[in-house]
Amino acid sequence: MNTHNKNLSTHTDARTRESPGFAATSLLVAPALLVVVGLFGGGLVLGLIQSLAPLPTAGADVLTVEHFANVLSDPDFLHSLMLTLYVSATSTAIAAAFSIFLALVLVSIAKKYRLVHFIFQIPLTVPHLVIAVAVVFMLSPTGFFSRLAVKFGLIDSSAAFPLLINDRWGVGIILAYVWKEVPFITLMILAVLRHTGVELLEVGRTLKAGPWQRFRYITLPTISPSLGAACLIVFAYSFGAFEVPFLLGQSYPMMLPVWAYKNYSDVDLLARPEGIATGIIIAGVIIVAIVLSQTLIQAARRRGTVL
Amino acid sequence: MGDLILKNLTIRYGGEAVVSDFNLEVRNGEMVSLLGPSGAGKTTVLKAVAGLIQPQKGEIFIDGQPVHDLAPEKRSAVMVFQKTLLFPFLNVEQNIAFGLRMQGHKDANARRRIEQILQLTELTGLGRRKVHQLSGGQQQRVSLARALVLKPAVLLLDEPLSNLDANLRQQMRELIQDIQAETRITTLFVTHDQAEALMISHRVCLLLNGRLRQTGKPRELFYLPADPEVARFFGGCNFIQGRVKDGVFCSQFGNVPAPEVNGNGHLRTATIRPEDILLSLDTKYDLHGKISKTNFEGSATRIWVKCKDTRFVVLTSDIDFKPGQSVRIHLPPEKIRIFPSETESD
Amino acid sequence: MRSLKQNIISTAVITTVLLPFAVLMMWSFSNRWFYPELWPRQWGFRAWDYVFGTAGFQIITALVQSMLVALVTALMSVAIGLPAGRALGLYEFKGKDLISVILTLPVIVPPLCVAMGLHFWFIKMGLASTFLGVVLVHLTFCLPYSVFVLWGVFSNYNPDYEAQARSLGASSWKVIFRVMLPLTFPGIMVAGLFSFLLSWSQYLSTLIIGGGRVTTLPVLLFALMGSGDRPVAAAVSIVFVVPAFVALLFSARYLGGKSIAGIR
Repeated sequence: MNTHNKNLSTHTDARTRESPGFAATSLLVAPALLVVVGLFGGGLVLGLIQSLAPLPTAGADVLTVEHFANVLSDPDFLHSLMLTLYVSATSTAIAAAFSIFLALVLVSIAKKYRLVHFIFQIPLTVPHLVIAVAVVFMLSPTGFFSRLAVKFGLIDSSAAFPLLINDRWGVGIILAYVWKEVPFITLMILAVLRHTGVELLEVGRTLKAGPWQRFRYITLPTISPSLGAACLIVFAYSFGAFEVPFLLGQSYPMMLPVWAYKNYSDVDLLARPEGIATGIIIAGVIIVAIVLSQTLIQAARRRGTVL
Repeated sequence: MGDLILKNLTIRYGGEAVVSDFNLEVRNGEMVSLLGPSGAGKTTVLKAVAGLIQPQKGEIFIDGQPVHDLAPEKRSAVMVFQKTLLFPFLNVEQNIAFGLRMQGHKDANARRRIEQILQLTELTGLGRRKVHQLSGGQQQRVSLARALVLKPAVLLLDEPLSNLDANLRQQMRELIQDIQAETRITTLFVTHDQAEALMISHRVCLLLNGRLRQTGKPRELFYLPADPEVARFFGGCNFIQGRVKDGVFCSQFGNVPAPEVNGNGHLRTATIRPEDILLSLDTKYDLHGKISKTNFEGSATRIWVKCKDTRFVVLTSDIDFKPGQSVRIHLPPEKIRIFPSETESD
Repeated sequence: MRSLKQNIISTAVITTVLLPFAVLMMWSFSNRWFYPELWPRQWGFRAWDYVFGTAGFQIITALVQSMLVALVTALMSVAIGLPAGRALGLYEFKGKDLISVILTLPVIVPPLCVAMGLHFWFIKMGLASTFLGVVLVHLTFCLPYSVFVLWGVFSNYNPDYEAQARSLGASSWKVIFRVMLPLTFPGIMVAGLFSFLLSWSQYLSTLIIGGGRVTTLPVLLFALMGSGDRPVAAAVSIVFVVPAFVALLFSARYLGGKSIAGIR
């Protein structure tokens, strides 16, 4: 009786070799790590130092948290933070919902619809700037949809068209993000579904699971890891992005990245450390969000919840 | 528990008929294997019974009830796939409990059933393991347990052993046999391994080219094949042509009384199994032959003998024979199987 | 079987993706287009004449600049990422998890934060307002993407091919160029493509580090948006998006029908 448990890898083609020694492996990995730690780590650390830069009135060696304090105590900061969180969370959630739906449809459409699949990938290559410009042309009060509304007699002047860009709900921003992110998330989900999804569903059917049960207890857990990772990336991106909010957002309250840059590039040099400090805060919020979600997921897994 | 009846089943796949007019009956508590070479349509039949494929024509009855219009979720048949397909995001116990959960059973009763099944499939203590921590054999047993715990009327096994190595396969075969004997669950078992089918089934059903060739007890298919193709499938390779006359089969190798074979004066083919041919170096027997080749195969030696322009293959545990030797051959009349009808016209 | 639902959804997808481009195209080819007309009152090439004519030099320069920055970034990203991806994908060693975390951070932290932090020091090191400086800041987040893609590629890579080649007498260089590179080519294409697209669409980090000296297309486009000249902005947007689109087509040929996200 076989009492040993072999650790079976699911990738039967992968061959994991023993490392060819510390020196050789380091040689391979080091350059990449150096670049990242040096440029990225350095950038953050140096930014941190700059944001703790001494005030011109104090001694040159006295680091201060005054800049951070200024930023955090500014009432605008809270508004910007809330707005940015709202826009990121909403666009991620909407994109995720559409993506799940589309992935389920596309997986059954299969390869017959090569054209649809190809067109679907186009937004992946489109810079955010371009879709932002296009959104302006489509959703501004004198934009394409406004003209359509006039054509169909729904409104009679541009002023009657609802405010969709530079508005307080960030509709234009959210739409631009959703347009860009849905193909990304969908393709990540599709990759998993194509690989394992279909057969597991047959198993589910023979084990007496109905359609909703198959979705909730088989499909969702199967795509969760990819879906979760994609959503985190999308959330992090949208939280810290500049171009789209700048073109499509309102001037008050500003989204956090716009506010950060505004301070950074302000003629008043005193505002610069505050801009950097805001940038550090943005990075901090994102990192905390990622860590938090990972811990929650680990905890849920340990409890045995099927995610 | 229940019986399974397939009536005139025709299934098309991609325009081609995979099986046509297929009829089969599996009685309550029986284990029947559906045997045939890969791609012969066996898995398709299984999927049709499970409800995962819709047959173009025909009917399926489980326990007397027609099920061909029922969705897989509603049928009392569970299929175990060739790839174990355990849910990677669930542990062993959760995998096994899956079907019960889908049906709403979450109580102490369900827990008890799961414990019983763990014992039955020799998986006690492994409930909390993750799927990727299991060996191939263990995964297979979880797959089996997952189906058994639902106590379906019919259990459908799709080549469950072909992904395992030889030793493991034998152990699993015995386990499946024991489980089936104990639970007496009606089982339809698909395999391409003829030795396996003969070993564990109550009855064997041979499918070649989408058509049912012979159904019967293992011994019947082995010793009394219905036609040369069936014989060949089980390793028979010695075919003799002859003519039936007045109840006697006459060939150049002698005459054999053949009272049940009808057709007076017609050509018939007969076969004899390699193990049944007798060889002797001295002049015990009448037929002369010359050994062209021998192959030592472990428990037996395979010997090719030329006799009257016919090549016979003989399996014997005797190791004294060498190529080039002249030998005497005997074809025991009671071991000669004459095929009841000719596939070609005379 | 084409079902109605699938058809509707396919049409919806195609429309949603292509509509923005249609609008941009119409604007770029319009001479006079007033509200609330659905089509331009007068079609024309004014914007395109401007783009390739008057401002042609400026725009072509920016285009070339963007192209160079993106290409160099992509090349460096793949060159540095390839050995790292190979080591991470093929070998087991301690610290893989830590490395994974280290590499994930630049992916999720916005370029804005890093660029602001690096700017001052790039000034000190003479890298500010230089081509190299911009490439380096782009590399910061393009490199991790490459490493992850190539990590995935090498996880499914069978090094026995190399062993086989060696036993047939191939030297190490031959093995790299005749065995490893051809086998991993699709993955390399994807990693390069990611890096290229990422760098191509960068605005703020280029602006901060480049300081107006390194003018890439997005920097120019941004400036043009402010001018309120919609046809020109539309035309430049199209110029901006076309190379990215071409890059997708180019690599799609090498990927042979797999989607970008299909490379695991």
